[in-house]
Amino acid sequence: MLRRVRSFLRALICRSDFEAGMSEEMQFHLDQYANDLMRSGVPESEARRRSQMEFGFLNSVKGDCRQARSLHWVDELARNLRYAVRSLRKTPRFTATALLTLAVCIGANLTIFAVSDAILLRPLPFPHPDRLVTIYNTYPKANVPRDGANIADYYEFRGHIPAFESVSLYSFGTATVGNRGSTLREPVTRVTPEFFTTLGEGPMIGRVFTDTEMNYQTDGVAILSDGYWKEYFHGDPHVVGQKVWVDGFPRTVVGVLPSGFRFLSSNSQLYLPLSSNPEQRTPAERHSGGNVVQMIARLRPGATVAQAQSQIDAENDAEERYDPNANLIKAAGFRSLVVPLHADQVASIRPALVLLQAGVFVLLLIGMVNLVNLLLVRATVRSKELSVRQVLGASRAHVMREIATETTLLTLLGGLLGLPVAAGGIRLVAALGADRLPFGTEIAFNGRLALVAVAAVIILGVALAAPIASFHLRSHPANALQSEARGGTAGRATQTLRHGFIVTQIALAFVLLTGAALLGMSLKRAMEVSPGFRSDHVIAGQLSLIGSKYPTPESGFAFIEALVSKLENQPGVLSAGVATNIPFSPNNGKSAATVEGYAPRPGESPRGSYSYGVAGNYFQAMGLTLKAGRFLTSADSRRAARVCVVDEDFARYYWPGKSALGRRLFQGIKPGPEREAFTVVGVVGSIKQVGLTDDTAQGAVYYPYIYRPDYNLFAVVRGSVRTEALGLFLQKTVRRVDPDLAVSGMQSMDDRIAESLMAWRSPAVLGGIFSGIALLLVVIGIYGTLSYAVAQRRREIAVRIALGAQPEHIRAQFFSLALRLLTGGTMLGLIGAWLAGQAMQAVLFHVRAHSPAILVGSAAVIALVSLMACLLPAQRAARISPMQALSEE
Amino acid sequence: MKKAADLLPGTLDMLILKAVSLKPLHGYGVLLRIRQISGDALDIPQGSLYPALYRLEHEGFLSAEWGQSENNRRAKYYHLTAAGRRRLRQETAGWNRLVSAIAAALKTTPEEV
Repeated sequence: MLRRVRSFLRALICRSDFEAGMSEEMQFHLDQYANDLMRSGVPESEARRRSQMEFGFLNSVKGDCRQARSLHWVDELARNLRYAVRSLRKTPRFTATALLTLAVCIGANLTIFAVSDAILLRPLPFPHPDRLVTIYNTYPKANVPRDGANIADYYEFRGHIPAFESVSLYSFGTATVGNRGSTLREPVTRVTPEFFTTLGEGPMIGRVFTDTEMNYQTDGVAILSDGYWKEYFHGDPHVVGQKVWVDGFPRTVVGVLPSGFRFLSSNSQLYLPLSSNPEQRTPAERHSGGNVVQMIARLRPGATVAQAQSQIDAENDAEERYDPNANLIKAAGFRSLVVPLHADQVASIRPALVLLQAGVFVLLLIGMVNLVNLLLVRATVRSKELSVRQVLGASRAHVMREIATETTLLTLLGGLLGLPVAAGGIRLVAALGADRLPFGTEIAFNGRLALVAVAAVIILGVALAAPIASFHLRSHPANALQSEARGGTAGRATQTLRHGFIVTQIALAFVLLTGAALLGMSLKRAMEVSPGFRSDHVIAGQLSLIGSKYPTPESGFAFIEALVSKLENQPGVLSAGVATNIPFSPNNGKSAATVEGYAPRPGESPRGSYSYGVAGNYFQAMGLTLKAGRFLTSADSRRAARVCVVDEDFARYYWPGKSALGRRLFQGIKPGPEREAFTVVGVVGSIKQVGLTDDTAQGAVYYPYIYRPDYNLFAVVRGSVRTEALGLFLQKTVRRVDPDLAVSGMQSMDDRIAESLMAWRSPAVLGGIFSGIALLLVVIGIYGTLSYAVAQRRREIAVRIALGAQPEHIRAQFFSLALRLLTGGTMLGLIGAWLAGQAMQAVLFHVRAHSPAILVGSAAVIALVSLMACLLPAQRAARISPMQALSEE
Repeated sequence: MKKAADLLPGTLDMLILKAVSLKPLHGYGVLLRIRQISGDALDIPQGSLYPALYRLEHEGFLSAEWGQSENNRRAKYYHLTAAGRRRLRQETAGWNRLVSAIAAALKTTPEEV
């Protein structure tokens, strides 16, 4: 086999050598034979004649020899290509339209495919990525569908689940890295020792963490990312043992990761031990809530997710027997779910992406239908030529290959033009925020994409050839020669076929249009939702206190007080505050609060609610509305009497129809001692914590900072100046109060809200673009088909006009044809739109999947566009001059 | 000139391989050699000789080199490759089996049935 390929390629590459050698060899044979004949007494002229006669036709022998080397395929391909290029150049308008259609459709498809490929298809960059899973706690009946995992879970599962080869925790965060005065907030990941072995890829220099390094007292170590190592240690191979300053403490470098190492979408510079106290590891801590830690595990070879799940369930059941709160936990529907890691990462984005992929594929279909229609028009014009050639002996296979060569050349060129379109499209989706999606930064134009593109255009080319070839080969050449003879009209079957394609095209465009309208409407509805606070002129940034400098909540509170008073002294600042969490932050953990005297209804489970520790004038700065009582003030953090503020959702749930003021509650899942009770002093309006489209009433409790402290803080500043200026104030003031701190993730609340809408905006924008292109394609399709119909029936129309038909009649005739196609297309489209709406339920917000307004509106747009496309050809038909038309040809 | 026998289908390759196995030959030489070793009994249609040579070369049974002919012209000489030698052995064995089977069949007398 290899030998044959080599022989074929040699002949192909040195083609002129091959041809010359063949000629020389055969000439030698002829001469030798003639010589031999002459030597036996035959006169020269007779000898030459005999030698040539006995050899046979030189050209046909050469052809057989080429065939022996499989070269005839190449020759035919080259011939077909030359023919295709010639015929495409003869019809520049058709070629331009077709190439443009292909470029746009293929470019759009490649763009969306690049996104789906990066996010959905490409496996995680670790060995045996299919064995990586994540485990998270869920309390569905307590309104907490997901609560990460915690240290206690880790010590519970570690080594106890036979289906797992290893279990590890990780937690994304930031840390202040560097020496005093030149610190930077860098993304870091805190991990347990098995993290790298679980992934299957670890440090290239040094070692991973040890179990002893998981304690606060002995965790002064760090593993560097390749990027950090190269930038700050200049790639020093003896870096192990050197120091790196993190949050004001020196840590010893124990390892360096390889350059390609990237865990999910993180760009962590450092990996630090995920330290804990022995108290945090006790099973009692398992359900404390508000987890920001995630668990991953590697399945043993051959173990399944289902096996791991049942082992985890058994472990949890066994644990619950010793848990005093077992009933509460059970009532909350607690489970630890095992989910494949990659699928879990992309679960939220998958529906939208699949939808977009389907939408863009419909666009491709519309484009292809258009092309088939245009090609059929060409085929009709050329059918006589092809018939003649068939009659003269061209084989069916030959005709088919010729057509396929032409369509494939077309799609290849179109695909080539589609590449820059795709490159632009990829830039567009990045601008729409696709790079912030999970694995979004992997979206790129790469070899994989190019390969898919090449395969796709070849398939498209062959697929396009099929209907054209069947058109040519179905009918007997003799029929074709007669039916489309001069002055006749197109065969009925061809016409029906073309009209069928237009109907399909209108239907597909209708589906795309209604889909895009549904997405657009969802976006509009989402944008109309009030976040529950005044989001203009507010900026928020994140900072995290260094434990060594602020060992107690009181010292942290003192920092906050200093920061807030300095901020509020700035001109242009109206109010400033600090909270442990803010709306639209990535932290959506909930915690339990127990209301005093509240008797759960039968079957009711404990509920999680959002909890915030606040200080300064947080409520004023964030712009929350006061519904009853008062806001919390800094003074509440200084008083021993514990007070809190709840939101309307919380108040309505626990004290429906009654005032919440004066009621008492406890942090956690059970009532605490008397002195730990919080008295409600105010009720504020509910806010959207996760996103505008989050419809469920979750409930929120605001505590004075000192009673719900956290090292991770959000500083919020409201002012009368631009938010950029507020951000600078904030940055500067933080540095002035504590030079070791740096603010990260600074963003105005308006921007945070806009970003949270990305999942709604991007599909709507792309859907809008796709339907715009689809409408354009429909216009081209209808215009092309009708123009052709007018041109074909020129003589017929001319005769009718000559016999007295009014121009209006002629015009009306074409309009009625367009109307018939439109009606058919819309009918079919309604069915499609119904199915599409059904499939889109999950990605819609406050819009009915079968909104009559959207259906009617889309139909109106399609009708308008179609009739406009019909205007010009109909007008041209009505203006035909009988004298001129009949004297032509 | 006496009439040469027509070739049985499929035997041309075998004859070419045999002719070339004796000594490297150019195309015309193959023609003459086959005539010679068959005692002028077999005549190859000249037009089908070259496609067969090209095919055998393509399949790797022959390899070709340019050389000097006996009257000092450039000519393409074919010689047998190892694969060609194996092929010739197989074909010869197959042919002999066929011939003896047919001969045995034709020798059968009524008594033996």
